[in-house]
Amino acid sequence: MSDADNDLVVFPGAFDLDVALQADSNLTLQAELHQQKKPFVILDDHDQSLRNSGCLLIESGNRLQLLQPDQVWVSQAGKGYGKFVNELPDGPVRDSLAGFPPLRALTEIGRGIIETGSLAALDELQKTVVRGSFVVLRSDAGQVSLASIQRLRGYDRAFETVKGSLRSMAGPHHGLETVFGALFPNVEQYQAKPTIHFGKLEPASEAATEIIRTFIAVARKNEAGVIADIDTEFLHDYRVSLRRVRSVLSLFKGVFSDQETAELKRIFSDLMSPTGRLRDLDVYLLERESYFKLVPPSLHAGLGKMFDQFETERAREQKKLSRRFRSASYDQSMKELAAQFDDPTRLEFGQNADLGAYKYACSLIWKRYRKVCKLARSIDPETPDEAVHELRIHCKKLRYLMEFFAQLFDAKAFKTIIKPLKRLQDNLGAFNDCSVQQDALLAFAVQQSSSSGQVDANLGLSVGGLIAILNQRQQAERERVVSNFQHFDSPDIRELFRILFQTPGD
Amino acid sequence: MKIIACYSNKGGVGKTATSVNLAYACAQAGMRVLLCDLDPQGASGFYLRVKPSKKLTEARFFEDVKRFTKSIRASDFKNLDVLPANMTYRDFDVFLSRMRNKRSRLKKALKSVGGDYDVIVLDCPPNFSTLSENIFKAADTIVVPVIPSTLSERTFDQLVGFFDEHKLPKKKLRAFFSMVQRRKKLHVETIAAMRKQYRKRFMSTSIPFSADIERMGLYRAPVVTYASRSVAGLAYRELFKELKKGLDSKR
Repeated sequence: MSDADNDLVVFPGAFDLDVALQADSNLTLQAELHQQKKPFVILDDHDQSLRNSGCLLIESGNRLQLLQPDQVWVSQAGKGYGKFVNELPDGPVRDSLAGFPPLRALTEIGRGIIETGSLAALDELQKTVVRGSFVVLRSDAGQVSLASIQRLRGYDRAFETVKGSLRSMAGPHHGLETVFGALFPNVEQYQAKPTIHFGKLEPASEAATEIIRTFIAVARKNEAGVIADIDTEFLHDYRVSLRRVRSVLSLFKGVFSDQETAELKRIFSDLMSPTGRLRDLDVYLLERESYFKLVPPSLHAGLGKMFDQFETERAREQKKLSRRFRSASYDQSMKELAAQFDDPTRLEFGQNADLGAYKYACSLIWKRYRKVCKLARSIDPETPDEAVHELRIHCKKLRYLMEFFAQLFDAKAFKTIIKPLKRLQDNLGAFNDCSVQQDALLAFAVQQSSSSGQVDANLGLSVGGLIAILNQRQQAERERVVSNFQHFDSPDIRELFRILFQTPGD
Repeated sequence: MKIIACYSNKGGVGKTATSVNLAYACAQAGMRVLLCDLDPQGASGFYLRVKPSKKLTEARFFEDVKRFTKSIRASDFKNLDVLPANMTYRDFDVFLSRMRNKRSRLKKALKSVGGDYDVIVLDCPPNFSTLSENIFKAADTIVVPVIPSTLSERTFDQLVGFFDEHKLPKKKLRAFFSMVQRRKKLHVETIAAMRKQYRKRFMSTSIPFSADIERMGLYRAPVVTYASRSVAGLAYRELFKELKKGLDSKR
């Protein structure tokens, strides 16, 4: 038995106010209803980060209550729906959510009616020896009660008695999953990177279809969040899912027929392109604060102007994309696409379609790995930036391939490889971001200039200052690439790649 | 951490009621408080419904840090814990020095159970012995309830005399008039005389004689919890404020 100072017991159904304690104890349990029925909303982000980390966040009235993984409730005044954690008012709930993903906003998982009250176990002197609280939650699907008790110093035996009684009453129901299961049985757990199931001997065509089918579904699960404009991660996940599909199309050579590959590539490229500008603007706006920190206050006026314009343009783009996502024609084409991958007879395959997934994966990953190494080893201070950009793309493809086929290989070995690869990718990503941002700033300045090439002085100064700093950063990132690659190119990692992916004959 | 000793070399002056109500007021103000029942005849524990621990009364528990921390009981009130013991003077002595020593095993043990207290209130035994010197040395403040009567006046003289004799800092003595009955001429006159004689020793707040305080034994709880607007309840609140001012300014 644990020595925890708190215990949470989840009961299916309502909390029975006449809780009977073990017959041999001289304690009496009192339950007092504090708050009559009120509507509540369970908040979490789209990834259900809170649920996955064992937390439950309830908003009711102007109050936020958080059940933490250590089974202690904290609460504070305020509302959370649609907010990022750093937008919550100061208080213990906000403090406890410090590790919440900063880019994700709180959204509704489900709603219902809540009642709360306090619990106390008294001894024969009417002294409180165990304290606690209870929450009854009701939804359209069912109801569940949470009783939490707290150990009081010096009253350990009483705590164990009450804990034992409550647990035996609750039966085998434990934990938050009982809560979600009872209240919102139809709420699915969203996963941005779900595990894709296929066997080692399954044909490559089936693996490819399965991966594409999965990521079309993931992309679709993000549409509502883009329409409601809850946070920027919905669009990001949407795009990443489509990018994965596209990389399957370009990396799995010969799995689909050439004609089919070209056709699908066009379709997915067409899906992707209306989202590009909005994503770019999202990224700039997310960087707003760091941009302001990069340049001295004397250049802030121009930056403010620039971001105002970005903001306006973003609103326009968001509206446009939202309209597209809501349109019947879009829905129809997505459904059609999904149906196509549900029924492989509607796809035309190529000469590699029947290769075993495992063997195919080994050869794809091994080839890509060799390409990464060859290119990376050639990079020195004289190499043009283009080579670094190319290395980034190759690393990304290698990473996608490894992720697609992860379940066919040893998880531990994969983790060992992915760690230095990720570090290298982060480095290359930062290099690329600096470069892309410089281009974007230049383009913005050109767009803002008059026909004679004149640009608003404040704007010009700010943009110029930023470009100078971003260029320095880009160079700094570039200098780190060699050492990060050496890290990835260690004898151990090389050996792992050989063991995992090199097949005789390669 | 501050140590507040409630002390009187005369019994029946409202010392235990003062300990309990002051400790409660500290806890209400957000400080973490440990109320130590050191008086074998005292009833701090009784007032807070905490049963005396058998283990404690019979054992030399201060040699065993773990058992000491285990004997602390949560009261029904937030931030207020009770040590329902009656210790021997020797134990008490060890206790005080260990509480003062940040690196003592006792302090570490308390910290580990989340009992790093801001304030320790001692409900002291009424005996007047040379060993009391250690209480006077260890405490930051010694709160002394004085009934404004001739007999109490004498015992207070003795206490001050003791401080002079042992060169103890009299500044620590913070007396107040307890169980005051304004209708009694003797009370009024004694108060005036003693305030004149010990100008710096007496706090301005007095606690009136009150049926509400006597009812603590019935309710077994601090006065303000069952008679929040009573004269006595307000008086204890005032007493706490005045005491806290003194403690804060010493820093």
